Amino acid sequence: MKKNPKTLKLILFSIAGIALLIFPLLAKNSYQVHILNLVGIYMMLSLGLNIAMGYAGQMNLAMGALWAVGAYTAGLLNQRLGLSLWLTLPCAIVAGGLVGGFVGLPALKVRAHYLSIVTIGLNEVINIILVNETKLTGGVDGISKIAKPALFGFKINTEQRYYYLILIAVIATFLISRQILSGRVGRNFRAIRDDYKTAPAMGVNAGFYKLLAFIISGCFAGAAGALYAHLNAYISPDIFEHKTTLFIMTLTMVGGLGNLNGSLIGSFILPVLQEYLRAIQDWQYVVYGLAIMVVVLFVPGGLMQVFTLLKPYVTMLTSRFNKLKSGTTVGEDSNVS
Amino acid sequence: MFLELEHLTMKFGGLVAVDDISFSVNKGEIHGLIGPNGSGKTTIFNMLSGYYKPTSGKIVFEGKNITGLPAHKVTQAGFARTFQNLRLFKSMTVLENVMVSMGHLAKTQLLNVMFNPIAAQKENDLFTEKAMKLLDLLDIRQYAHNLAVSLPYGTQRRVEIARALATEPKILLLDEPAAGLNEVETNELAEILTTIRQSGITIFLVEHDMKLVMGSCHEITVIDYGKKIAEGDCDCVRSDPRVIEAYLGKEEDL
Ligand SMILES: Nc1ncnc2c1ncn2[C@@H]1O[C@H](COP(=O)(O)OP(=O)(O)OP(=O)(O)O)[C@@H](O)[C@H]1O
Ligand SMILES: [Mg+2]
Repeated sequence: MKKNPKTLKLILFSIAGIALLIFPLLAKNSYQVHILNLVGIYMMLSLGLNIAMGYAGQMNLAMGALWAVGAYTAGLLNQRLGLSLWLTLPCAIVAGGLVGGFVGLPALKVRAHYLSIVTIGLNEVINIILVNETKLTGGVDGISKIAKPALFGFKINTEQRYYYLILIAVIATFLISRQILSGRVGRNFRAIRDDYKTAPAMGVNAGFYKLLAFIISGCFAGAAGALYAHLNAYISPDIFEHKTTLFIMTLTMVGGLGNLNGSLIGSFILPVLQEYLRAIQDWQYVVYGLAIMVVVLFVPGGLMQVFTLLKPYVTMLTSRFNKLKSGTTVGEDSNVS
Repeated sequence: MFLELEHLTMKFGGLVAVDDISFSVNKGEIHGLIGPNGSGKTTIFNMLSGYYKPTSGKIVFEGKNITGLPAHKVTQAGFARTFQNLRLFKSMTVLENVMVSMGHLAKTQLLNVMFNPIAAQKENDLFTEKAMKLLDLLDIRQYAHNLAVSLPYGTQRRVEIARALATEPKILLLDEPAAGLNEVETNELAEILTTIRQSGITIFLVEHDMKLVMGSCHEITVIDYGKKIAEGDCDCVRSDPRVIEAYLGKEEDL
């Protein structure tokens, strides 16, 4: 065999890269591109949740509200002060991180299911503030006419153009996630997830790393919020209710907790599926509920675990296929295994 | 004095697990703590390592009162420990388990390791190199990339010791390190203890294996029902009638 796995990987990567770049040109209509833009935003949210929940083991069930914090920060700064996305985005990241840290404070006292309940409660608290602080947030009407960004005079004012912006943001978020998790911080996250009682004996300040996990997920949600606000031009509290939080949790779990690629896959499959499930309205939540149950009971590692389980079979099939193609002799066969 | 326990008491509701215990551990020695099951040995370790806050009493380490410090601060002060029931990080390889312990010594700024790939790589390389040396010391280098919890019991015990040493402690608390080991493994453990002590680390050892305790310890403290009943060197403890009654006597019955 001449092809080695590295060149194969490179080829696959190039194909994927080209596909991502030309997708908006192939799409039937801008609605399809819009869906993909949302997919990108879910990817950022899911990466944030995956770091907190999948890696650090911290149940952050306030992602919807943290997303709102980013969106409202950007929306208000644009509406009131006329700031562009390039300025509202960093502000939204900071705001998301701060509120994320605040939402994480209960993690210093409670954990697991109790933490889920407290954080989902905080999600509601933030949502109620959005609805009731009418003067600041516009109440149920939300904020509208948020300006589209421009780059050196080039207006990013169509779904197609925005697509590339989100593509860059997702790639950046993914690379940053990988970087954060690759060293000391990632190991400490996994240490407190694996055994929160043992980690401190190894010098890990468990409380600090719990908060850090919440802050990072808040920053990612903040960035996703700013991008969403300027993309949609209109935001209202109902988008960020707890069912959004549960949707983000579902797609992260279906993709694979503790695996960044899982976040990408889950964020693609579920929102696209949602488009097809629109017809059955609220019944779609039954489908998500069942999906979570299947994952928790049978494949806790989500789709990424399914892939690893299937891997040996795929290798077996491809090697059979290669053998058929090249008519390998018995002698060479023994080298393969 | 290196480590001093002063009138340490730990109550769980009505149960007095550790009852007004005082003794000291000398620098550079192997100090044994023995006593029958449930006599309060692990509870003493848990107080020393910041897991339990003593009901009363003081822990003084190198002249500093460290009573009630949180566990990670105690580790930073120079304590390391292993656990009676193995508690390795279950998603990590042997190498990663050991590397976790090095985080608190890291010189690189947190933001730098989070966002600067070069700095992070440099730190990881440094940690890997140091961890590999510890794996060599415990003769487990060949398992570096195995999932720690998938290894045989005796090997996991070694990983626990390597992980504790990686915090670069001044004193190492070992809670029954020979439990579940066969005779060959126990002899190897005795050699490891000697090597560790020779490198300048004080060892505080809880152990039921009398051969190991008598062979390794310079000083032994004996407790029963949370109370100190004897202390001294091996011969002194071995011949103490209260110890024979409370502890060694029981062993003979078995
Ligand atoms: N967290 C706790 N809550 C309540 N009781 C406890 C707790 N920890 C220990 N105890 C009790 O304190 C007493 C001493 O327990 P400890 O684990 O210190 O004994 P030990 O000497 O380590 O025994 P062994 O040799 O079996 O390990 C026991 O009666 C135990 O049940
Ligand atoms: Mg014990």
